[in-house]
Order: sequence, then C-alpha cells, then structure tokens
Amino acid sequence: MSNKVELSKTNKKTFWRWYFFGQAGWNYEKMQGLGYYYSVYPLIKQIYGKTDVAAEAAINELQFFNTNNSMAPIILGVDSAIQEKQGIAAKDTVAGLKTGMMGPFAGIGDTLFAVIPNTIIGSIASYMALKGNPIGLILWIAYGFLRLGIMRSFFGMGYREGVKLIDSLGNRLKKITSAANILGLTVIGALIPSVITAVFAYKYKQGGVKISLQDMADQIMPGLAPALVVLLAYWLLGRKKMNSTRVTLILIVVGILAYNLKIFA
Amino acid sequence: MTIQWWQILLITLYSGFAIYDGNNTTFGTVKPTMAGFVAGLIMGDVQTGLIVGGTLNLLVLGVGNFGGSSMPDYMTGALLGTAFAVLSGKGAEFGATLAVPIGLLMIQLDVLARFCNTFLQHHAEKLVSEGKLKSATHMNLYGIIPTSLSRMLPVFLALVFGSQFVQDVVNNLPMWLMNGLKTAGGILPALGIAILLRYLPLKKNFAFLLVGFFLAAFLKVPVIGAAMIGLAMALIAFGMDNQKSAQPAAADTDDEGDMEDE
Repeated sequence: MSNKVELSKTNKKTFWRWYFFGQAGWNYEKMQGLGYYYSVYPLIKQIYGKTDVAAEAAINELQFFNTNNSMAPIILGVDSAIQEKQGIAAKDTVAGLKTGMMGPFAGIGDTLFAVIPNTIIGSIASYMALKGNPIGLILWIAYGFLRLGIMRSFFGMGYREGVKLIDSLGNRLKKITSAANILGLTVIGALIPSVITAVFAYKYKQGGVKISLQDMADQIMPGLAPALVVLLAYWLLGRKKMNSTRVTLILIVVGILAYNLKIFA
Repeated sequence: MTIQWWQILLITLYSGFAIYDGNNTTFGTVKPTMAGFVAGLIMGDVQTGLIVGGTLNLLVLGVGNFGGSSMPDYMTGALLGTAFAVLSGKGAEFGATLAVPIGLLMIQLDVLARFCNTFLQHHAEKLVSEGKLKSATHMNLYGIIPTSLSRMLPVFLALVFGSQFVQDVVNNLPMWLMNGLKTAGGILPALGIAILLRYLPLKKNFAFLLVGFFLAAFLKVPVIGAAMIGLAMALIAFGMDNQKSAQPAAADTDDEGDMEDE
C-alpha cells in the first residue's frame, strides 16, 4: 500500500451506504442484491449518468449477491475500481468477480467477523452479566468500532489492489482465523463450568453416613455435571433430524425431569 | 407492578433499532446481554435484565444468521423476558426461561419480514427497467420497515396485552413446573456451547478446550483470565504459523475454495 490512491467522494459514499444499509433490503430472492445496488448507485450515476447503459449497469448490480457483511467492502472496492476504468465493458467481469468472491469471503468472514467475536465477547459479557456486572457490554461497542475500521480499510485495499489482493488476503485471514479459534475454544472450555448451573441433588443418608452425589462428583472432577450436559447437547445436535430448536425443547424437558426426579437441584 | 406507557414505548423502539443495528452497523444492541441490560434500565431493575440477557446470550453464543438463515431471536426474548420478570416479580431465571419460547416463535416473524422484502426487490427491478434508477435505491431502505416491524409489533402487543396473561399463567403454574423450569434455565447455556463446538474446528483444537475447562473448573480462574491465556496461546500459534509459511515461499498458490477453516 505504498502508492496511496485517494478514494473519491463517490467511493466513500459507496462504502458508507454499504456500512449503514447494506443488508437493509435483505430478501430471499436476491439476498443482499438490493443493498449492493443501493451502495454502488453513486458510482453508476457518476460513470453512466443518464446514458442508456446506466440501466444495464444497474440491473447487473441488482443481481443475487450474498457474502459476509464485513467482507463485502473488498468486493465493492474492486468493483468500483474496475468500472471506473473500463465502464460497461467490464459488465461481465464485474458479475463474475462478485459471484466468484462472495462464496469464499462468506465462509471466512462469518467465522472471523461473526462466530469468533460473538463467542469471545459473548462469553465474557454473559459471564459478567450473570454476576450482575454490565461492564462487559462495552466490548460489543468497541468491537463495533474495530469492525468499522477494518471494513474501511478493506474497501481501500480492494479499490487499490484489485483482484490480485484476494489470494494473499485470504491466506492471511485464514491464519488469523485458525489462531482465533484457539482463543475461542479456550474461552468455551472455561465457560462450561462457569455459566452452566447443574448441581447434583441426590443425597444418601443411612445411619450416621451421609453421602452427597455432588460432593462425590467434585472429587472426580469439578464441573462434571455441566460437562455432561454439554456432552448431551453436543451429541443430540449430531443426531439426524435434530436442530437447535428441538434440542432447546429437549433440554427444557430434561431440566424439568431432572429437577423432579431429584437428579439436579 | 404495572407497566407504564413510556416503558412500552422505549422497549418497542429499542427492538426496532436493535434489529437494524444487528443487520447493518453491529454495535451489539441486538445481543441479548445488551437488550436485557437496556430493558432492565427501562424497567428499573438492571440486575434482572443482566441475568436474563446473560442467560439468553449464552444460548446463541457464536450463532449468526449466516446466508440468511433465521435464528432464535433472543434480543426480543431478552426484552420481553426482562419486562415480564420484573412485572411478575418471579425473578430472572423465570424471565429467561419464558424468553426461550418467545425467541423461538420470533423465527417465523423473521422469515416473514425477509419474505416481504422480496416484493421490494421485484419492485426495484421493475423501476430500474423503467429507467428510474434512483427510486429503485429507495426500495433497499424500505426494507427496514418490515424488518423492524417484525420485532416492534410483537413487542408492543406483548407488553400491552401480555402482562396480565403472563401474570395469570404464573399464578396457575404448579410449583414442580416452576422449579423445573428454573433448573432448565440453568442448563440451557449448554446448548449454545454445544452449537459452537459443532461449528468450530474441535478436533484440531481439543487440547485448548481442555485447558480452558481446567483453568475454570479446577483453578477457578474467571472467564476473562482464561481468555488471556487463550490469547497468549493464539499468539504463539500465529507466530509459529507465520514462521512455517515464511520458509517455503509461495508454495501454496491455489487453495481457494476451501477458505473455510475445516
């Protein structure tokens, strides 16, 4: 990024339109197609004005499009640069580029910009919230700003470096993702005994001997009951015909039964 | 306690904004922790809001509506769960468990809203073919209306008409069910964790899951402390990964297509 090309006013508009309203018109048919068109409208207006090809370019941008929201600015940047240079001649290039990039970007972006931050921030914020502390919520807002910064730089990168950037960036993001997975799984591991409330209720009393199942379980492994519940949920999710809604309902039934059968307190 | 009109108004407005923010700007207002906190502020019981929100957030930890699949909406769940918990005085666990079916029902309304937007897409295409390029862009913005209404209407109706209903239900629930639901609320976060374990590359990183569990279960390290150790391990792994790939320069050129980890 040594030769810094300034983004034009139109480019900035495109970015901000995506940032604020990229998924506003999300629909089952063309998904983010409407939002994409909305975002590049200033570009179309600037390049094609009132010419006949304007509608052609517009239809081209209204097509099916769906990728990770945070990664899309890269594609918008590449698209802007190409159309500014080649105009309507690049119509097929643009269409191919969009469909070619949206798939891989969706996969990596959903992991890196949604699953991982949601896991890490969600774990910390929920854990603190359960203790009655709202401070963790600041992390959501901080992440909002971080993400905005990254999205802005993505647009610039896409605009300046074009398609050649995609491979190197993809590789870099992949490395970050696999490192971030380590952080994510460590946090989840810590979360299991911290936030799941499952305490064995069973107590056995005969003569002077008192045995509490929970005390015994603690001898084996603290957090045994929460770990078992996670294992059950994990196993259930892997069964055929199971989805998260069904497992939710099953767990509610399990909870009610476990209480009334005096397994869990 | 009865709900005031301004409380209904604020919570309703919040739900409409939060779903917009969640889809676009992402400042966390759509997260159940945040929604529970705000509902708690509005209802005058922040503690309850935080616990309802925290419990629900754990259910959808890493989940996002990828590729447009609808997911349980525990933002709406946290708002209503908190409000009803405070109004009925039955406690946060009750509110959280009550919010679960609400969140699940909201999936249908989310589907409906996204379906409504399909008409906007069609209309935009028609406008473009007529050369009205600018009017077509407005269709995207109109998409906010069905999406926000899909949260605001049920929240509003539930708060206006639901309080008495919830009160009646609560008064007639037998104790065994009430307490059973509380236990259920305690184990439900296991689902959010299990979903994540299904999604993240568990096989490759199982050791780190164990480390995290050990830290919290045996050493009683708080989650934030475990996160720091996780971060340290992630940085080490990242450094090693970089070193490894620095040696065979440009060895891997074409492995696009499987950018997804695992």
